[in-house]
Amino acid sequence: MLVYTVRRIIGAIPVLILASILTFVMIDVSGDPLAEVRMAQPPPSPEVLQQAEERLYLDRSMPERYWLWVTGIGGNGDIGLLQGEFGPSTQGPQYDIGSNIAERLWTTLRLIGAAMVFALGLAIISGVISALRQYSKLDYTLTFVGFLALAMPTFWFAGIMQAAGVKFNQLVGEQVFATIGDGRFRAQGEPLWDQFLNAFAHMALPTIVLMLISFASWSRYQRTSMLEVMNSDYVRLARAKGLRNHTVIRRHALRTALIPLTTVVAIGIAGIIDGAILTEVVFQWRGLGDFFITAVDNNDSYALMGWLLLSGVVVILANLIADLLYAVLDPRIRYE
Amino acid sequence: MFKRRKSLALAAAATSAVLVASGCSGGGGGEDEGGSKEVTWVINSLPGAWQATSLAGGSVYVIQMLSGILPYTGQWQPDATYEYNMDVLAEEPTLVNEDPDEGPFEWSITLADDAVWSDGEPMTGEDLRVTWMLGTNPEEGYCAGCDPRASTSNDKVESVEVDGKTATFQLKEGLADPEWMGLFDAHSQSGGFYPAHLAEENGWDVDNPDELGEFYAWLHAERPEWSGGPFQIVDGDLENEVVKERNPNWWGEEAPLDRITMPYNTDEGTFVNAFVNGEIDGANPADYSEDVILQLEDVANAEVTVAEGATWEHIDINLNNEQLADVELRRAIFTAIDRDDIANRNFGAGYPDYELKNNHVFGGDSPYYVDHFEGESQGTGDIDEATSILEDAGYELDGDTLTLDGEEIGPFRLRSTDSTVRNTSVQLIQSQLAEIGITANIEMTDDLGGMLSEKEYDIVQFGWSGSPYFTGNANQFWHSESGSNFGGYSNDEVDELAEKAINASDLDSAAEFTNEAMEIIVPEAYVLPIMAEPNYFFANSDRLVNVHDNLQSSYRATYNIGEWDIAG
Repeated sequence: MLVYTVRRIIGAIPVLILASILTFVMIDVSGDPLAEVRMAQPPPSPEVLQQAEERLYLDRSMPERYWLWVTGIGGNGDIGLLQGEFGPSTQGPQYDIGSNIAERLWTTLRLIGAAMVFALGLAIISGVISALRQYSKLDYTLTFVGFLALAMPTFWFAGIMQAAGVKFNQLVGEQVFATIGDGRFRAQGEPLWDQFLNAFAHMALPTIVLMLISFASWSRYQRTSMLEVMNSDYVRLARAKGLRNHTVIRRHALRTALIPLTTVVAIGIAGIIDGAILTEVVFQWRGLGDFFITAVDNNDSYALMGWLLLSGVVVILANLIADLLYAVLDPRIRYE
Repeated sequence: MFKRRKSLALAAAATSAVLVASGCSGGGGGEDEGGSKEVTWVINSLPGAWQATSLAGGSVYVIQMLSGILPYTGQWQPDATYEYNMDVLAEEPTLVNEDPDEGPFEWSITLADDAVWSDGEPMTGEDLRVTWMLGTNPEEGYCAGCDPRASTSNDKVESVEVDGKTATFQLKEGLADPEWMGLFDAHSQSGGFYPAHLAEENGWDVDNPDELGEFYAWLHAERPEWSGGPFQIVDGDLENEVVKERNPNWWGEEAPLDRITMPYNTDEGTFVNAFVNGEIDGANPADYSEDVILQLEDVANAEVTVAEGATWEHIDINLNNEQLADVELRRAIFTAIDRDDIANRNFGAGYPDYELKNNHVFGGDSPYYVDHFEGESQGTGDIDEATSILEDAGYELDGDTLTLDGEEIGPFRLRSTDSTVRNTSVQLIQSQLAEIGITANIEMTDDLGGMLSEKEYDIVQFGWSGSPYFTGNANQFWHSESGSNFGGYSNDEVDELAEKAINASDLDSAAEFTNEAMEIIVPEAYVLPIMAEPNYFFANSDRLVNVHDNLQSSYRATYNIGEWDIAG
């Protein structure tokens, strides 16, 4: 397994390099990082603009800039992935891309982590129930809820949830749910319970939005997978041996039925990051999604590259973990 | 079955307990806790840095974030009058010599005796001198690595003499500055002035350019623990919000509020829910949003005002296009464009009191306003008049196509950024030009600056942002050597007037030169102003007192933050 893991990681490096070259070129040709500054009124002096161009390495050719971004050789010490530097930002010399990504990763993980855990749990439960009660009223209801959640655009659904949160608050006469921000400065120094309540107030609505988006597709996969397994020969054999239904489902059917979902969830991590972009914007969380939008707004090439690199690594790692989980879930698979 | 019901009941009880308990916590911002007076006021974007002098920090959001922190010498009031900050000044600044022919243009500023920074150190003329040096172009040799966003006024200064609380400024030989009083006011590139003694405390020699550069970087990178205003920042960052409390060493009248939280909110779509939910008390967004305005107008405790903002939309023609070099064609194009239709479709619902902009530089409330479009057909949408202009100039219609000597006129590239307002506008312009036989192909761009500087347009709509300080506008918009004169207009007389305006000795003369330049520009049909984009402001009228918008200032509603109070 270790050899397989190392081989997969090494195999991912050329993929990452190729992806980074493509994205670097696309970002580079998409516009002038200093366009907004040049349009400022009154305009900055030519010397200041030249200084800004030099700071952002815009006085170098595109291939040179890519080489700099990877190696940092010939740079000013603020660029070079191999040296742990993500490059200068159009958002000013004081803006450190690396530390911003690290800080915002934590914010996004808080959001995504909770949403994924709840979404996965709900998806498995509802998928299994739907499969076991196929064509029942419960199955139809869960199917309807699933398709409804699938059909709703994230930004719209997020807006609806905000409005619902406000209505609920008005109904109970208290501010149970907050609609904007992660509230990080609101309960500092307060007792632990107050900090928990503050976190709950700010996390609840965005978590529900992200959760339902993922839950919708995952529960469909789980239902289909479960139905397939329930109709397989070995499940019939288990039943014929006289095992209790509960045992058949839990120990024989569910474990196998989880394998396809593992793949879907791994791929879905990329999707949930995309979903987080809109969710973070609507709920004003300063996570990686907001980092991405801010970088686009500011034509911040190196910040965008940092974000894309991180996304690429996350997707590759998630797929690797999915492959490794196959071995755990399916005894027939061995990586040797 | 019993077990399942029991589980569900437990889950419901736990959820209810959390909901009820969190309800007891008092919720988010905007609530008074323990009798303290607190306000939550939104800043409509992320501030790029902790100070506003640099390229990254040069935005109204940084200025608003620093409201109540940064001391300044004066600012324009909502009624377009200028008021010196007599908390900070001992007396109104004195103009020592206003005629550069008789010696250097010179003025002096004296700070109030009791004016101190939040650490108790007195404010001195040295603070002004260092702030001036921090805002100069690096080529001037005072500050290495500094990247001031607008150093023109600072670069005019030759020397600064400091004597305790007084600083005396002399301009370079032959130069004058009609906006001299604004070097350290709320509208300057720094938005005020900085505490020079902190450079020394950190071990930097301000007369060493490299070390002053380090001080500059430090000011922009570090959250200010210092203050020279009624509040000081006690918490926050550049990503989420800042929290301000009273400055204990503020020598002026004590601010009524105990605490102000300023969250950065980039999505106007969230304003209504957050306001109704009591999470925010108000905002003065930078952009117009009809949806938000109409929704807020339905909220009982929301005071909403909409008025002309600083940014004005205009249509420019690229004179580098051979066909468009003909002034009669340009006049016909501008005559066919119906400004009122454009303004009404874009802003009529949220701001029915809109007014068309008939002066490129001065707003209707300015004492220098002159209507330069009176009697002009440009912008009226008068197709008959446009057709007549074209016929007189020898143009003919070949079917639906305008021609000159048998050659088709156009098609032209009609460009703008893809905002809702401009999208609507260019579609209207396209259909209006079609009526005089001109095809305009709409092309949107994400890179306005690049498109303009590369002159990749024939007709373009974009916006300039105005300010009560105007003396550099004519120079920037129309001087033949200006990098912002994108369409390539060139007129020696206008160049001369623009130079005179920027070097006039007082605002009245500068305004006169600027208006004279406009008199020449308008018949040339080079730039057609449409209207100033409205800005809106909303505040919780049940809670807040003394809070209103100031569209003359980058601080907007926060311009008098030290006077904000809670009702009752």
